[in-house]
Amino acid sequence: MSQPEPTPSPAGVIHDIGYRGYDGGRLDRRRIGSALFVHSLRGVFGLGRAGKSKIIPFGLAVVMVLPALIIAVVNVALAGQGVATEPVLQYARYPMVLSAAIAIFVAVQATQAVSLDLRFHSLPLYMSRPLSRADYVRAKYAALTLGLFLLMAMPILIMYVGSLFAEFPIGRETGDVVLALIGAMLYALVLAGIGLVIASLTARRGFGIAGVIAVLTLSYAIVTALQGWVGEMVGDLQTAGWIGLFSPMTLVDGVQVWAFGVETSTPAGPPGGAGPVFLVVTLGVIAVCYAALIGRYRRVRL
Amino acid sequence: MNRTVLRLTAQAMLGGRRVLLVSAMAVILIGLALLVRLIGDISEPDIAAFLQVVSLATLMPLFGLIVGTGTIGPEIDDGSIIHLLSKPVPRPVIIHSKLVVAIVATVAFAVVPTALAALIMGASGSLALALAVGSLAAGAVYCVMFMLLAILTRHAVIIGLGYALIWESLVGSLVPGARNLSVQQWALAVTDALASPGLITANVGLVLAVTLIIGGFVAATWYAGSRLRVLTLATDD
Amino acid sequence: MQIENCSRWFGNVVAVNDVTMTIGPGITGLLGPNGAGKSTLIHMLAGFLPPSAGTVTLDGGPVWKNHDVYRTIGIVPEREATYDSLTGRQFVLASAELHGLDDAGAAASRALATVAMEDAAHRRIGEYSKGMKQRVKMASALVHDPAVLLLDEPFNGMDPRQRLHLIELLREMGAEGRTVLFSSHILEEVEQLASQIEVLIAGRYAASGDYREIRRLMTDRPHQYTVISSDNRMLAAALVADASTAAVRLNGDALHVDASEFLRFAELLPLVARDAGIRLFEVTPADESLESVFAYLVEK
Repeated sequence: MSQPEPTPSPAGVIHDIGYRGYDGGRLDRRRIGSALFVHSLRGVFGLGRAGKSKIIPFGLAVVMVLPALIIAVVNVALAGQGVATEPVLQYARYPMVLSAAIAIFVAVQATQAVSLDLRFHSLPLYMSRPLSRADYVRAKYAALTLGLFLLMAMPILIMYVGSLFAEFPIGRETGDVVLALIGAMLYALVLAGIGLVIASLTARRGFGIAGVIAVLTLSYAIVTALQGWVGEMVGDLQTAGWIGLFSPMTLVDGVQVWAFGVETSTPAGPPGGAGPVFLVVTLGVIAVCYAALIGRYRRVRL
Repeated sequence: MNRTVLRLTAQAMLGGRRVLLVSAMAVILIGLALLVRLIGDISEPDIAAFLQVVSLATLMPLFGLIVGTGTIGPEIDDGSIIHLLSKPVPRPVIIHSKLVVAIVATVAFAVVPTALAALIMGASGSLALALAVGSLAAGAVYCVMFMLLAILTRHAVIIGLGYALIWESLVGSLVPGARNLSVQQWALAVTDALASPGLITANVGLVLAVTLIIGGFVAATWYAGSRLRVLTLATDD
Repeated sequence: MQIENCSRWFGNVVAVNDVTMTIGPGITGLLGPNGAGKSTLIHMLAGFLPPSAGTVTLDGGPVWKNHDVYRTIGIVPEREATYDSLTGRQFVLASAELHGLDDAGAAASRALATVAMEDAAHRRIGEYSKGMKQRVKMASALVHDPAVLLLDEPFNGMDPRQRLHLIELLREMGAEGRTVLFSSHILEEVEQLASQIEVLIAGRYAASGDYREIRRLMTDRPHQYTVISSDNRMLAAALVADASTAAVRLNGDALHVDASEFLRFAELLPLVARDAGIRLFEVTPADESLESVFAYLVEK
């Protein structure tokens, strides 16, 4: 039924349809940042997103955990027979063994964390809150780092539990595990930094993934091939060791070898006295990645 | 072959970030060769082994992925392929034109740098040629395979990566039967045939490898054309 | 273009439900709320989506998997995606070349002139406003002089001046005898432009015809009239006495009548007024606008 037009009133009328303003307290910047952090961390593992985006994180987590389980079982078996008095594989070497799976994880989740926001222009939604661009970067970096750390820590802890069952000396094993976890944290920081920097350069998810993988696998292949050639053919283990600086995985491996006395997983470990350099470079890489991310997001057009 | 499609694809490829990434990869490869040359002498078998790992096994699949998906993936993704599809151009012609761009890019940024790297490191002409032909074969097949994948699915990059890293590196290299299904192995067979004996170990017979390379290339190109014909564009409504 | 018993479903969602219609020369408006399946139908007409059931044909030949059909069809898609790095002229020129036109440059210039984009054609498409992008897409669709023009929500995001221009352009196209089909959920545009309206609601073909005709078809719903006469109250009493009047309402100096039988009421009103000696000043149908038709159809 059509209503006749009301006689026009001199002033407009705003009707009360129950809308209420909010004058109460609001959570501060830190809470917002940590909410973003938690949300991103859940996103790293596909939680809170569509089913399909859980396949890769969970699949890769399984790929990471299974060999650890197998190693733990083998440890127990061998120890039971009295054949082994220490774990088959040192904890700290595990990330290097599964570096391919970790690389895929970083590539996919780094792009999922930052490329999607660039693609669908959802950055204004974040930045129009009392959340600075640096806060955004920090939250994302921390989330991906923690996610990677968890990914690596899970199998390490499983192997540790296996060692406990195998009744290896508890003190030694606990010390090793703690050092391995510190190493895992270093891996996580470096890989997350590199992954995020590359992913934040493009809004296309596929390209970001390809870029991260290209950098990680190519650097690893080149470094290990060079190390193999220089170390064995030319016989110059010193130079071969220095080459290890140029790939993220071998870089952190070098730090572990020097600081924790772990066996090297590369063709040539860091040369004597070079250990501190590896550590400094590692920290430098982390700092540079962080600064690059901050710079990138300061300049990105919303 | 349609010149306009060629031109459009080439412009899109050269103007974007992809060309930066692939040229960086090429530059790094050559820089590496220079570095090795400066450090010391390297024997032919070592050059072969080195480039086999770096170029054939790592560079070519990544290259094929970046370039192969790059020629058609982004267009399908953001829907701008509708401008190509709404013209009376046969779909296989579109595929062929894009493939030409991909292969030319592969030759320019991967095959030539590989040969150059080999020469810089002091390899003989025959080894450099063998590596060039091998990487061309690998690159061409990868390009068309990943282009096909990009038409089939939006997750082409991840699946392609899974193939390259998991199948090629692990299964294809280790499991004997599976080697017959690995592009890398086919390329190795071709390289082995052209290089002096003993430099490269191929695990697949030459005849089989060549057949699979040509057959795979043709089949994938044809299939890509037929899939493009029935490509449905996502609608919002 | 002929659509026969065409349906399209995506998994469990039926986007288009058993639609049969013919689209001929002139301007046809495809009207429906968002999610009604208009875009899906247009994609099927354009050969970008196969129907799950039924057929879509152009002059008897199939549209799906038939790339030659694009010689006759021009499509202006809704989505923004264009080659942002090209200039407007390069884009339309590429379009002309892809159509295999002999003098691509001249055709491109003509098309750009038709949409009034010659001045801006040297700038990159990435720098265009939304309306300009739309016009460039239009030029690219017109460059090969198609007999059929399909436009998906062409007025989306256009300011009034651009809209007028587009309406003029489409009117020209329709007058030249081309088959123009455009979709919209905004009623004013369809009202102004289309001689034939096809209404699509929830995937179903709800109605077709001139919008006034559509209204006429629905005689089971009360028509509403606003009557201003010399004695509304007496007129109301006289009207209510007859079965063709469903309800009367007096409001100020107007009388609102709901008539359940349109024809009978139309005959009745002047007779009743004359017999009662009442002068009729104004008789206005109150809900002839497309909006009320639409609202009614949606409710149905």
